[in-house]
Amino acid sequence: MREITLSQAVNEAIAEEMRRDATVFLMGEDVAEAGTPFKVLSGLVEEFGTERVIDTPISEPGFVGLAVGAAMTGARPIVDLMFGDFIYLVMDQLCNQAAKQHYMSGGKLKVPMVLRTNMGATRRSAAQHSQSLQALVAHIPGLKVAMPSSAYEAKGLMKTAIRDNNPVVIFEDKLMYQDKAPVPEEEYLIPFGVANVKRTGTDITFIATSSMVQVAEKAADILAKEGISVEVIDPRTIVPLDEETLLASVRKTSRAIVIDEGHQSYGVTAEIASRLNEKAFYHLDAPVLRMGAMDVPVPFSPALEDVTVPTPETVAANARRLCAGEMIHAA
Amino acid sequence: MTKTNSEDYLRMYRQMVRIRTFEDNANQLYLSAKMPGLTHMYSGEEAVAVGICEALTDDDRITSTHRGHGHCVAKGANFREMFCELLGKEEGYCRGKGGSMHIADQSHGNLGANAIVGGSMGIATGSALRAKLLGQNDVTVCFFGDGATAQGLLYEVMNMAALWHLPVIYACENNGYSEYTKTEEIAAGSITARAEAFGIEAFKVDGQDVLAVNALTQKLVARCRKGEGPFFVELETYRYHGHHVGDINREYYRSKDEEKDWKENRDPIVRFRGWLVDQGIATEAEIEAMNAEIEEDATAAVAYAEAAKYPDVSEVDMHVYAD
Amino acid sequence: MPRDVTMPQLGMAQDAGKIVAWLKAPGDAVTKGDALFEVETDKATMEVEAQASGFLTGVTAGEGEDVPVGAVIAQISDSAADDAPAPKPADAPAAGDDLPPGKSVTMPQLGMAQDTGLLVNWLKSPGDAVAADDLLFEVETDKSTMEVSAGFDGFLAATLAEAGQEVPVGAQVAIISADKPENPVARKHGDAAKSAPTPEPTAKAPDAPKQKDPKPATPAPPAAQTNGRILASPKARRLALEQGLDLALLVKAGHAQPFHVADLETLRAIPTETPVATTAAATCSLTAEISDDGFVDFIPWAAQNGLTDADALLAGLAGASLTAPCVVAIDRFGQQHRYAVPAGRSLSAVGPTENAADLILRDLRGTALRNITLGAADLPVLTLMTGAQGLTITLECTSAQLDAAAAIQLLTTFAGRMEHPLHHLL
Repeated sequence: MREITLSQAVNEAIAEEMRRDATVFLMGEDVAEAGTPFKVLSGLVEEFGTERVIDTPISEPGFVGLAVGAAMTGARPIVDLMFGDFIYLVMDQLCNQAAKQHYMSGGKLKVPMVLRTNMGATRRSAAQHSQSLQALVAHIPGLKVAMPSSAYEAKGLMKTAIRDNNPVVIFEDKLMYQDKAPVPEEEYLIPFGVANVKRTGTDITFIATSSMVQVAEKAADILAKEGISVEVIDPRTIVPLDEETLLASVRKTSRAIVIDEGHQSYGVTAEIASRLNEKAFYHLDAPVLRMGAMDVPVPFSPALEDVTVPTPETVAANARRLCAGEMIHAA
Repeated sequence: MTKTNSEDYLRMYRQMVRIRTFEDNANQLYLSAKMPGLTHMYSGEEAVAVGICEALTDDDRITSTHRGHGHCVAKGANFREMFCELLGKEEGYCRGKGGSMHIADQSHGNLGANAIVGGSMGIATGSALRAKLLGQNDVTVCFFGDGATAQGLLYEVMNMAALWHLPVIYACENNGYSEYTKTEEIAAGSITARAEAFGIEAFKVDGQDVLAVNALTQKLVARCRKGEGPFFVELETYRYHGHHVGDINREYYRSKDEEKDWKENRDPIVRFRGWLVDQGIATEAEIEAMNAEIEEDATAAVAYAEAAKYPDVSEVDMHVYAD
Repeated sequence: MPRDVTMPQLGMAQDAGKIVAWLKAPGDAVTKGDALFEVETDKATMEVEAQASGFLTGVTAGEGEDVPVGAVIAQISDSAADDAPAPKPADAPAAGDDLPPGKSVTMPQLGMAQDTGLLVNWLKSPGDAVAADDLLFEVETDKSTMEVSAGFDGFLAATLAEAGQEVPVGAQVAIISADKPENPVARKHGDAAKSAPTPEPTAKAPDAPKQKDPKPATPAPPAAQTNGRILASPKARRLALEQGLDLALLVKAGHAQPFHVADLETLRAIPTETPVATTAAATCSLTAEISDDGFVDFIPWAAQNGLTDADALLAGLAGASLTAPCVVAIDRFGQQHRYAVPAGRSLSAVGPTENAADLILRDLRGTALRNITLGAADLPVLTLMTGAQGLTITLECTSAQLDAAAAIQLLTTFAGRMEHPLHHLL
């Protein structure tokens, strides 16, 4: 199978959907000729013109608001939010307007829009361009949240998101845009709420999102040499969440580490760990561990930034301790 | 395109009286503790909603505000579903999930009231963007108050609407008060000049004169359909009640004399009624009969809504996500 | 048709308003929009306008009165003559609802596990003179029927429950007044007056999602014992339970906690035979002889009160004689069942536990054994045997486990409780 980058995969998904459905359009800062700073959207304006690939002023609440209105009246906008950190700017439009219209109207209004943005630290972009804020939006009923972990997922999830009748937020890891993965030439969609078991194992389950799937797989490679068999699962969408697949795995392995690049406190890892605790308690032979980013603003200095996120080594070290029956959090 | 026949005039009068009657009944429901929550009365501003909405078709969209009952009635909504919604009943426009501050009536192009001040400016402008993009001919009117001109979103969306010539009319209902504060204390400079800074043609009109409002809107809607939008209209008007029902002690921000003056000398319904009789379009008796009929409609709708069913509790987690 | 005039809701958090003044008198003609009355709320005083034209009639609230929001205070009628008072809100208090002053008589608690009593019959009528010793009413509990006396001299001013009603223990059922009441009250239980009536909504609001009934007050679980508690993973604990494995044996064998599933393999390899203590500590052996009548009678009585597990009773009596809270293992025919005995005397709070025991109670009643000396074990052991007077109780322990005074105290106390179990409850 051919291999393409995550960036190309996103581009292909949008182009295919824009060809298929004339109501799909794209808007955001420098999405047209510039194709975004990460060049993810390069070439789209040449095919679809400035009518459907719209450069906006630097007015995040304004253009997200426009997308909500366009979606409510029959279009399918894809909004590009240049950095995930800018989500704070658009919270009213996303959480008060987009997320609630369907419910407040008793099911009459729909908001089929996609907000694609990014996440991920270690790009030396410091505290306001490095955050992973998926937990903020996953907290709001009415929003769906997808977190592709490779080019394959990026394409399949984007196409599903564009066809979904709800507001969907997609977080792409900005460090993975050039990562290649096998992606079929023929069309495919990845349904929401279906986790992907990346590898099977018997001793411990790693549940990891987006960039952390790679980290989990590398940790699993290290542990395999030591005779520890790891199951790695990528939920792919955190809302909706494929709870059953996660629970089945943990019932089998009795141990789990949940890894996500958002801050650890009150985060995605906490939510998933809590569900495992509630629904698989009597199958647990060790406490479920959360591994998220440290609870600090992302620092600039590489020496500092690199220690704020989970790495294969830190994940493997925690897994060893759990499998050895050590008391991780003895009082 | 000015409305020239009697039927249209009588319809405008009827719609204004329907709004006033709806609000009087809603006020009573609230005062008698039959209505949950809180509500904001549109009484006094009827000529704005009716003058504008009578220039629109069902395909044209509006976005409304927390003071939205008037827009909803003017855009064609029924009393029955509206009262049901106010009381949280299953047959309400939003199955009781929205209430007074979120009534939406998709069937007549009302994209909904919005309880965030200025919250629907993006939605209205986005609706206009969609019309342009998909080659549809409808116009969107964005209702908001003078208080909402203090929200930054307005300037972001007016900028884009002007850049892209979107078919949207920003209708600023200036009733003189931003909640409990005089507008001149929260708005520096001229309100219309804000739009003009983006190159948007802006107008100021007497919001108590339904014919003036309607004539201007007819013209602007027609120009929007030709791609000459957006436009901005400031409508001078007055709210008879407090910011919300229950805002009774208002003397610290406005005098009773001022309220009395607007009610006695500038009431949009009284003025228009006088004009209709002067022009021989209707007799006093015909108008009284119309008023009585509307009052009866409202009474019946209130009684219906009071007796109507609440939604089943199983609906609580319906409509979080669309299929 | 007359239109109701109601107390308006004026503020966002307002329950009632005070009528400062009526601006129209009953019978006056009013026009819609006329100022009708003046209301004071926490925020301000304002005039309330008539919502219809007609005549002011049926005024039920006077100046200075606080009226709940939504309550009907007058009507606007088509005729001044139509002066029927406005209908009262549905659940307004009945006239003269105030209870007469006096001493309160409540439903007594007669059994250990009794929540309510059935009021069978009143033996006095409202208004009757009563003496403190006079029998006032008859109560039936799950066990028996008994008569309850008035407890005070005076007059039966109010009966607050009817014959045939179940009344919660502690609820007021009568009032005895010092003076002869003018209007003695007779009422059903539950008809208590409400201090502020709320208007009946036209359409009833849906019931809020019902909260699950709070669990009936269950006895507090035995206080967690840090030394007795075994640390094990949820899965290891579940598997041990399913496979009948005793994690305490791992503790005894000196394995480090917490235990995980892997430790269950080790546990299976440990012989279940409790090793005989090899310590050189001196052994005590004490024997007591008592009648068994008290305990034999106690078992069926306790069973009627919901205490059906006789072993829990034994554990409770023994544990209370040691230093509760503690865990007592009942050993019979080689099978052990452990019970946690909390502090206090409640036998109903004694319940099964997996925690390690502090005391073993070996039950050899019904066997031919009459005397036993087995030597001290890991824990103090009480042995029950059939004896000459009914019951023989032996205590064996080491001096390290219980010194002489403690051993004597334990056995005498336990023997006393076994002889008179009811005393234990008092």
